Amino acid sequence: MSKNLVNLTVNPCKMCMPMGSVSAFYGIRHCMTILHGSQGCSTYIRRHMATHYNEPVDIASSSLTEEGTVFGGEENLIKGLENLIELYEPEVIGIATTCLAETIGEDIPRIIKKFYKTHPNISVKMIPVSSSGYSGTQYEGFFRALRAIVENVDMDTSKNDKINIVTGMISPADTRFLKKLLSDMNIDYILLPDISENLDGPHREVYGRLPDGGTSIEEIEKMAGARFTIEISTFVEEEYSPAKYLYDVYGVPYARCNLPVGLRDMDGFVEILKMLGGEIYEELVEERGRYIDAMVDSHKYNAEGRAVIFGEPDFVYSATRLCVENGVMPVLTAVGTACHQLEEMLRGEIQKVADFLHFDDFKILDKCDFDTVEKYAEELKANIMIGSSDGRRIEHKLKIPLVRCTFPIHDNVGGQRIRMLGYEGSITLLDRITNVLLSRKENSFRDEMHKKYYNGNVEPANDKNGNINDIKNKILEKTKTHPCFNGCGSQYARMHLPIAPKCNIQCNYCVRKYDCPNESRPGVTTEVLSPEDAYRKYLMVKEKMPNLKVIGIAGPGDSLADFDNTKRTLSLIREADSDVTFCLSTNGLLLPLYASELINLGVSHVTVTMNAIDPEIGAKIYKHINYMGKKFTGIEAASILMANQLAGLKMLSEKGIVCKVNIVMLKGINDEHIPAVVEKAKELGCEITNIMQMIPVEGSVFENMPLTSNKEITHMRNKCESIMKQMYHCRQCRADAIGTLDKDESISFRGCTKFRTQKDGESILLAVASKGGILVDQHFGHANDFYIYEYMDNRVKFKEKRSVTKYCNGFESCDGMGGGNKEDKIDNILDAIKDCRGVIAMRIGETPKEKLERKGIKVFMTYDKIEDAVNQMVSLIKK
Amino acid sequence: MNRVKILDERRDFITYGNDPKTIIKCESNSVSGAVSQRACVYCGARVVLNPITDAFHIVHGPIGCASYTWDIRGSLSSGSDLYRNSFSTDLSEKDIVFGGEKKLAAAIDEVAQKHSPRVIFVYATCIVGVIGDDVEAVCRQAEKKYNIRVIPVKSPGFSGNKSYGYKMACDAIMNLISPHKNRSKIKGINILGDFNLAGEMWIIQNYMKIIGIDVVSTITGDASYETIIKAPSAQLNIVQCAGSMTYLAKRMEQEMNIPFIKISFFGVEDTSSSLLRIAQAVGNEENIEKAEKFIKQEEERLKVFENKYRKSLEGKKAAIYVGGGFKAISLIRQFKSMGIETVLVGTQTGRPEEYELIRKLVGENTVILDDANPAELEAFIKEKGADILVGGVKERPLAYKLGVAFCDHNHERKHALAGYDGTINFIKEINLSINSPVWEYV
Repeated sequence: MSKNLVNLTVNPCKMCMPMGSVSAFYGIRHCMTILHGSQGCSTYIRRHMATHYNEPVDIASSSLTEEGTVFGGEENLIKGLENLIELYEPEVIGIATTCLAETIGEDIPRIIKKFYKTHPNISVKMIPVSSSGYSGTQYEGFFRALRAIVENVDMDTSKNDKINIVTGMISPADTRFLKKLLSDMNIDYILLPDISENLDGPHREVYGRLPDGGTSIEEIEKMAGARFTIEISTFVEEEYSPAKYLYDVYGVPYARCNLPVGLRDMDGFVEILKMLGGEIYEELVEERGRYIDAMVDSHKYNAEGRAVIFGEPDFVYSATRLCVENGVMPVLTAVGTACHQLEEMLRGEIQKVADFLHFDDFKILDKCDFDTVEKYAEELKANIMIGSSDGRRIEHKLKIPLVRCTFPIHDNVGGQRIRMLGYEGSITLLDRITNVLLSRKENSFRDEMHKKYYNGNVEPANDKNGNINDIKNKILEKTKTHPCFNGCGSQYARMHLPIAPKCNIQCNYCVRKYDCPNESRPGVTTEVLSPEDAYRKYLMVKEKMPNLKVIGIAGPGDSLADFDNTKRTLSLIREADSDVTFCLSTNGLLLPLYASELINLGVSHVTVTMNAIDPEIGAKIYKHINYMGKKFTGIEAASILMANQLAGLKMLSEKGIVCKVNIVMLKGINDEHIPAVVEKAKELGCEITNIMQMIPVEGSVFENMPLTSNKEITHMRNKCESIMKQMYHCRQCRADAIGTLDKDESISFRGCTKFRTQKDGESILLAVASKGGILVDQHFGHANDFYIYEYMDNRVKFKEKRSVTKYCNGFESCDGMGGGNKEDKIDNILDAIKDCRGVIAMRIGETPKEKLERKGIKVFMTYDKIEDAVNQMVSLIKK
Repeated sequence: MNRVKILDERRDFITYGNDPKTIIKCESNSVSGAVSQRACVYCGARVVLNPITDAFHIVHGPIGCASYTWDIRGSLSSGSDLYRNSFSTDLSEKDIVFGGEKKLAAAIDEVAQKHSPRVIFVYATCIVGVIGDDVEAVCRQAEKKYNIRVIPVKSPGFSGNKSYGYKMACDAIMNLISPHKNRSKIKGINILGDFNLAGEMWIIQNYMKIIGIDVVSTITGDASYETIIKAPSAQLNIVQCAGSMTYLAKRMEQEMNIPFIKISFFGVEDTSSSLLRIAQAVGNEENIEKAEKFIKQEEERLKVFENKYRKSLEGKKAAIYVGGGFKAISLIRQFKSMGIETVLVGTQTGRPEEYELIRKLVGENTVILDDANPAELEAFIKEKGADILVGGVKERPLAYKLGVAFCDHNHERKHALAGYDGTINFIKEINLSINSPVWEYV
């Protein structure tokens, strides 16, 4: 389970049982697997294995459908077995169940029995494995399949001199190593499974689709008579252990050992083989010596390693032990499977490394996901990861290099050739680890040292955007031409662009409303413009109004609620005009989020409407707010809003932005509180406050609230003048106001960006039946849509697409929408294209063709590109 | 092993070239045991919704479904990276017995409380369909509780095929955008059915910018909650991947009054006609002029490039095995323009009309397959002597074993194949595989 989320597994560090079962069956000669379940399972598993092993992976599926799920999948499975046998002629078939089959309660042994009975000529060995995805991971699935194999093969109990070697999921290359080791030590063995060829086959003259490497059934039969079993797996449960089964049923003694990775575990493995009569050969002794030599050579580099090791239990255990014996500190050891013994078995030896390196903290976790791995990798400052390619996102994000050495590896080649077993495999893995640490050091130490120790000529951080005083002076110049800051009679014009329709708070005095050209108050506009239209409108207005100095974004909603629009609008305009002043008004809810972006966009003046600084008063003014996808009401809402308003204003004024605070005076609610708000505005570094009347709006909560008189407003302004500068001339403009404060000219620019209407004139229309939209590829009678082309002024142009269903009498009569009469359909089509002079379709029946021609509509059959076909038809018609 | 081996039940799914007498069987369930290359309903739904970048995609089911679909696609994001995570309720045996609703509700609670998401998609997998969890009810309650969108995606694997999954994803998108259908219209188009693999959506968006057409929303490549809910205000939908998105376009046409046109940005011809058509559909004379100018300039650039490569590609033989019919058609035409003959063509989910058209586009001896399996692909690739196979990841090792070049035309690729640049990449990729020195040694 995820560390950050308790109820979700985030980025799984495990796969499901069928994956493991299929992998195990790939080590059996002439064996195919069928997954009893829906089609996706086999496809996903094939894709996973194909990219790791770079080999064709064929896994059949019983392709269960809805029907099979409800009434049982027996029929599907039997059919599937028949087909699989016909296609591949296997000698063995593994039948692995999936979640679906297990849940609907499929009895595979019974179905197999039935299959043999009804197919007396078929002698293929069938091995059922119960492997629902929810009961375990690929690790369990692998051993369950092996166990099922030894349980289901008819054993030959006569004694032989062989030794059974059972392995977990090791790579094909490691399997080849193991085989060579055993034969070099003169051990007569049966290896279960043997994926060395089936999942890493050489390129051959002729490709054989049935895997012909692997352990044969004849060999497996002899496992019961073997003199010993070595099971190379640390954690396999006895219930699924093939060795335990062979011991319990046939009395074959056995030993368990770890994967022979690293000095200790390879020594242990060799020791067992020696006891069983294996001969130690000189080369092996030398390999051992070379590994020790490598350990010594690299130990100082390795001591800098802080490793995250993840994967399935046997791999993780062994890779960790390799790290530990080389002095690499495993800061996080993680398996996705449930494996409670892991901690107990590793704590002691990891602690030893931690002690000598003076590390306080490390983690050993089972049931772990990558969310958790990521969290600890960062927290514990890992500098190397060892595992599958599933760690690649953490590698990228946290820049921690990843040694890819276990299944699955999707983003590198060579998954099938990974080596880590034996002394030489250990050297290979160790070198990879050491080299990662070395190159990390090589690539980073110059910068790190420079950062850490070099102190000269450091620029003060504040200067990125120029000196703050320079900015202030520049903005001061801009303020001089801003009409709102210069009162009535100012010769300069401003333009409000209504691009922000959405609001993220609901004030009790506000109703946003469109299309009311005669009303003038904030929140009102006749149209909402897209950024592009706003840009065009700006260009038009600028041309007619050279005194235009300020672009304001004042709603009709909140200018930051849909910041993308605001940002795009301002960027477009800034590209065309580096000088115009950007002024923006907002409720401030998202101000901290966008403050620095506003500055970068060149916004120099910001107005925040802040009616209170006491949440209890605020709660009376704001009905609710929508913040980060969540709705808040009451005091909670007001607190969030106010905290953001204050933080945002502070951020802006610190950067030299001219901030104005608007306060709507609400009788009996905030009138007493206004001086405190003004006080706060001053403290935050604002330039001016603007105390305004509330305009009662029908439909708002405050529609019946008593009006504040001009006198009262003036009185309040005078009172606050002693605290800071007050604004006396505010007109409370519309969200699409244009012009000087004295003269709103917005009405003359309304709708100026609406697009062009079609020119009238003589034209020929053609209807094209096309399914894909590129070619004429549809039967006339089947078409639900027609692409209409217009020929006019010697030019062919696409006009529109018409949907036949729009012309039909309700859904029933159209076959596109469920049944319907063919005749009706043709009539509907005729109706849809009656103004056309020609029809182009891939094919058309005689009857509709006659009907069309009676109406004077010409017909042209082809399967060309639409544009080419239209041109041809035009020339036909013109003739 | 070398002979062509066809299961009796599969014979109707296979036909040859231009023979109007036979009708190919398609749109049927896969033949059990035949090793179909198809995936499942869940897969279809997941692919379509995956590129919505700031959504939480919660897979309600056992771990495999989430594990195998975690970040395996090349869809790019300009914003959030959230979609590259795989969230799973990781159902275990206990949940199968007692039901997984509580676990799901707890998971949603946690996500909603800790991460304030805008939208959560909850995918119902096979098991959820069988154990009878009421995913819709859990989602509904969560929506009320948190005032966010929690959208169920009904995608049990057994309930149909991958195409059905596309439909379920489209329904989920409608569910997401429908509340916004009364937004006022703005000028501009939605781009449907491009998933921004290796930045393809960006390529198309750049084209739109060049010809002066505004893009309102992209579905689903590089989409986010904020951008996708704007979709209802567009003037027109353009549909790139018709297989997955025609259904959505039709629903939007009927329910939101947004007409749609189908276009394609694969290959020079398609790209050019699509650009022009979009300009004509929503633009003015200025847009059309810009489009014409741009097309001319790009086509000239491409011509120079194509001429350089033609010699080394002409006369080669291609095999195509892809997901949908439109992609196959587009590939046949692209190959034709390169002087390459298509000798085998198959799809996982093609429709009858598409196969009819394919028949018209290919030669008489070209073999056409629906829902082919590896044995058939192997047999026919050998029989037809194909030089290259275009397909997905699962087919790649097979091609290599057979000594045949390969082109990845799937969702995992890391280079764009759409637009003019995509055409260049495509030709380069075909060349670098088909003319590689390694084939001299095998």
